[in-house]
Amino acid sequence: MQNSIFSIFKVFFKVGLLLLGGGYVILPLLQSELVEKKGWITSEELCEYYALSTSLPGIIAVNTAIFTGRKLAGSKGAFVSVMGVIMPAFLAIILLASLFEEIVYMKSVQNIFWGVGIGVITLLFLAIKEMWGKCVTDKFSTIIYILCLILALFTKISPALIVILALLIGIISQKIKNERMKKYD
Amino acid sequence: MIKLFVQLFFQFFHIGVFSFGGGYATLPFLYEIAEKFHWYSTRQLTDMLAISSITPGPIGVNMATFAGFSTSGILGALIATIAIVLPSLIIVTITSKIIDKFKTNLYVKNAVRALKPAGCALLSAVGIKLIFSSHLHLLGILILVTFISTSFIKKYDPLFYLGISAIIGFCLGYFHLIGV
Repeated sequence: MQNSIFSIFKVFFKVGLLLLGGGYVILPLLQSELVEKKGWITSEELCEYYALSTSLPGIIAVNTAIFTGRKLAGSKGAFVSVMGVIMPAFLAIILLASLFEEIVYMKSVQNIFWGVGIGVITLLFLAIKEMWGKCVTDKFSTIIYILCLILALFTKISPALIVILALLIGIISQKIKNERMKKYD
Repeated sequence: MIKLFVQLFFQFFHIGVFSFGGGYATLPFLYEIAEKFHWYSTRQLTDMLAISSITPGPIGVNMATFAGFSTSGILGALIATIAIVLPSLIIVTITSKIIDKFKTNLYVKNAVRALKPAGCALLSAVGIKLIFSSHLHLLGILILVTFISTSFIKKYDPLFYLGISAIIGFCLGYFHLIGV
């Protein structure tokens, strides 16, 4: 199904507009807009794109947007999704460039963003809940999930290396499966 | 002027190619630019850290726009912003082409299968670390728990959670209930 380029742009513009806090917020937003509302992609695909995005150079939110856009409508989709995501950021900086200091250090603005921080974490956990249900389904995925979580929480190993490790485990487990098959033959 | 545009383009393109790991991975590069080119000061960069958390978009993109805009107006802002995302566009396109090509290979298939729980785990780790690093205090944790537990009954739009939590932050601050 080819989605109309304009409707893809619109969704990503909205995502870009709500992309407050860190770039990882793009995941709950895409989960809500593209998986739940539009049904254009699945939670599993989103997890896959996120893992790939962290292990490639570049800004993670931007990479994730491009993977998703490409899946929706090829190169054109990739292009409009990245434009949609960065346009609100671009406009906000241009509009605020001269007012920055006054605004940022206003007490009430800081209070508002303390609150938004809670909203952001809420969104993140709601998305994790959804994705977990879809991505961690059998013994193989549970082992990888627990291993990666421990490495990410308690070691300083970079996320990129953790993803590469997961890829290797995937390849090795396939190899073991093949060997076993050969034995039975 | 042309020379400045070319410099802006290459500096931010360079960040797009070499920053790994997300979050604040772009920061070391942004500091380097501040020291080398003086398009913005390190003080402005520190301010931008605060600003970036209240404006849409990742800090790398925000900083590119800001650097371009403060040195050469809208056109500069456009060039720097495009430059920082262009490598992603190229690299992601190549990567997905490769994956598509070898999709039927069993090894690639199983490797991609391993990506899903790995991505989910990395995101979970971000969430857990965020709780400990964002000065939520007891009140914030209470609000967070309320949001998440009510979501089992009814889940609202992201906009709802962001809006309500902004209002809560404003009100609590107004009555001096949070020490930001």
